[in-house]
Amino acid sequence: MERRQFIKILGMSSLFLHGWLRNLFAAQGPVVAVAQGTDHAGITRKALSALGGMQHFVKPGQTVVVKPNIGWDRTPEYAATTNPVVVKTVVEECLKAGAKRVKVFDRTCNDPRRCYASSGIESALKGMKNVEVKHLEEERFKKVALNGKVLKEWELYGEALSADVYINLPVAKHHGLSRLTLGMKNVMGIMGGNRGSIHKNIDQALADVNASFRPHLTLIDATRILTAHGPQGGNLADVKILNQVIACTDIVAADAYATTLFGLKPADIAVTRAAYQRGLGEMDLDKMRIVRV
Amino acid sequence: MKKVTTARISQLLFLALFLVLFLMTEYRGSDRIVAAVNGFFRANPLTAASTMLAAKAYLPLLLPGLVVLVAALFLGRFFCGWICPLGTILDLVTGRIRKVGAVRALTGRAKYWLLLPLLTASLLGVNLAGLLDPIALLLRALTFFFHPLFGDTVRGGWRSLYTVMGERRDVLDPGYRLLRDYLLPFRETLYPLAFLSALLFVLILFLERYERRAWCRRLCPLGTLLGLVSRLGPLRRTPAKLCADCQACREHCPTSFDQDLLQTEECILCMECALRCPSRRVRFRFTGARPQVGTVMERRVFLGGLLGGVVLARGFRFREPTAEAKLLRPPGVRDEDEFLKKCVRCGECMKVCLRSALYPAFFQAGAEGIYTPLVVPRLGYCEYNCTLCGQVCPTGAIPDLPKEEKQRQVIGKAVFDKNHCLPFAKRIDCIVCEEHCPIPGKAIRSERVEVTGFDGIKRIVQQPYVVDELCNGCGICENVCPLEGKAAIEVFRVKDRTPLKAPAGGAPPPSDPYADPYAGGGS
Repeated sequence: MERRQFIKILGMSSLFLHGWLRNLFAAQGPVVAVAQGTDHAGITRKALSALGGMQHFVKPGQTVVVKPNIGWDRTPEYAATTNPVVVKTVVEECLKAGAKRVKVFDRTCNDPRRCYASSGIESALKGMKNVEVKHLEEERFKKVALNGKVLKEWELYGEALSADVYINLPVAKHHGLSRLTLGMKNVMGIMGGNRGSIHKNIDQALADVNASFRPHLTLIDATRILTAHGPQGGNLADVKILNQVIACTDIVAADAYATTLFGLKPADIAVTRAAYQRGLGEMDLDKMRIVRV
Repeated sequence: MKKVTTARISQLLFLALFLVLFLMTEYRGSDRIVAAVNGFFRANPLTAASTMLAAKAYLPLLLPGLVVLVAALFLGRFFCGWICPLGTILDLVTGRIRKVGAVRALTGRAKYWLLLPLLTASLLGVNLAGLLDPIALLLRALTFFFHPLFGDTVRGGWRSLYTVMGERRDVLDPGYRLLRDYLLPFRETLYPLAFLSALLFVLILFLERYERRAWCRRLCPLGTLLGLVSRLGPLRRTPAKLCADCQACREHCPTSFDQDLLQTEECILCMECALRCPSRRVRFRFTGARPQVGTVMERRVFLGGLLGGVVLARGFRFREPTAEAKLLRPPGVRDEDEFLKKCVRCGECMKVCLRSALYPAFFQAGAEGIYTPLVVPRLGYCEYNCTLCGQVCPTGAIPDLPKEEKQRQVIGKAVFDKNHCLPFAKRIDCIVCEEHCPIPGKAIRSERVEVTGFDGIKRIVQQPYVVDELCNGCGICENVCPLEGKAAIEVFRVKDRTPLKAPAGGAPPPSDPYADPYAGGGS
């Protein structure tokens, strides 16, 4: 009886301690973990542990959605889709942290079957227990009131909405309209309906969605980046190898940092600017704690 | 259906094979298709004859068809009684259909009136045989009507289950996955001519009302062709006539014994008579080349058939120019006339098309082009890395090209309609087309232009344009254009479909798309 009570108190107090620690960090601005190295599984784990490890985000028994970019029918070296090694490592870490189920999906632009196969993600996760790599099903989209500046409501994917933890796992690349596609644009992969129609106001529309739907963690795959002819590329001459993975709980900060990898300033990206102005996160590099591991 | 005979087992095996191959004619995670239903067309003598007559060349792809034709010389219409899946289906249902007796209009020379014009039209360069080819008829009915109907029904049920159960439906997911992965079409596609395709098939079933295997005996051009050949061969049944003391053959024979003399060109070698003869008299023997007696057809039928072919090939050539402007053929088809000579309208390319971009033509290609495949980009586009249609085409009308070569084939060229296109018409950003353009250097590009918006505010918008030298007409731009209804960019047919130049730079993709180039680090 005594021992149980002791553990209870210990557990409770650790909760408070934990919250206190977090507040301390928040006061200092978001932590952006930047891991570099050629062992892509290793740097993914390093970036995660710099944020306190996956167990900080995923609790035993939880359902996790890992949302990479599987948008295009391109093989991994073209940098149009998220590196399968990074995806696999994140999924493994979720399972290690005790996730009951990890779901991996994206609303693709090319044929989903080909995208899932060519990206290498389907085969990387094949045979893993409690991991689902699924094509989207139309009926699971749910209308969500966004009450944003340009989008009043939009259909978002039910399994993303109902997940206990949502991990955003984009690849950093060039985009013809928004200049870059990073964390905030990756959320388009859970948007239903006519996504093309939001292009007329893409920065505000994406800020609207990101204001309402907030990933618990954003990991940006910059192991190799696509510097031109995005978002699908197709020419290895446009691909630059950086061997970096960026992790942050603040999606705006993650995007802001990733922008610098392309030789641009965070404010050059309209989506980042719009989100920052709405208070969705930090884009001032000086106000972040950039932890290099 | 009472006794299981060897012929029946063969029939059922081939029907099963046909259905399995039909389901395999679909993308299953690999760039190459292991086996497709095209085997049935390659081994189809009618396809072989009509295509080679039209192309006036020997086509190695269709060698199996010629082999079957030569085999028919010795074995008669064994194809009809042992292999043909449509014949098998008729045999399976005929027992349930009450017979009212033969139709007089069909008992004469009707079948020659079908076969001769079709082959003559082939000679004149229009390959129409596939329209009435039994395998093609069956495949089209399955592809355009029955399979989508099945998919629609099952998926509809699965969907409505979600409204009832919500996320708890996931418990049933493994079972549904099996069904979805192996039996259902990947997406629900509505095809034009679905009704006609189903109707023709149902009509053939309906003919069973009049007599057994009515279609096979009286109309089927493939059967007629095989029958003609078998007349020349040495295989004969003895006795050739009904025996006066028994006449049981009249009961057992599914096709040939409504006259006293066995009609060799209608006998499908099912062997029922030999197996059931009470006195074991019936034998099938190679009696030496003693041609069948009796005329094949009267001279007027022959001449009329030829004339009919001329009318078929020359009477339906009109093409509506506006429809023709959007007449986009599958990738690799560079010449319309060549295509019409080889395309047997089997429907396989439309079945296999990864993005459901291919649809059967109704009148877009003129009446003579009915059921030939065309790309409808607004409904589906040609996937850049996909080469499936060329792989399954039984006659090579759509060439089977390696991926890198297929990517350079020109289907048409994209053209903007500035009256609709948002950056021009509304002076706001869009360029979804540029984003989706799969060409590594982008065939759609945009220039940043300062404009005064209609709200009076100056802004920079990106106005897209097409680089013709890079556009292969895949149609993804037209497909994804976010405008409702008519797209602001459309692919139009071009006469000169010389493939694009090989792209400069860019290493070829690795041989194994699943191999991860980053495994173990390194770059």
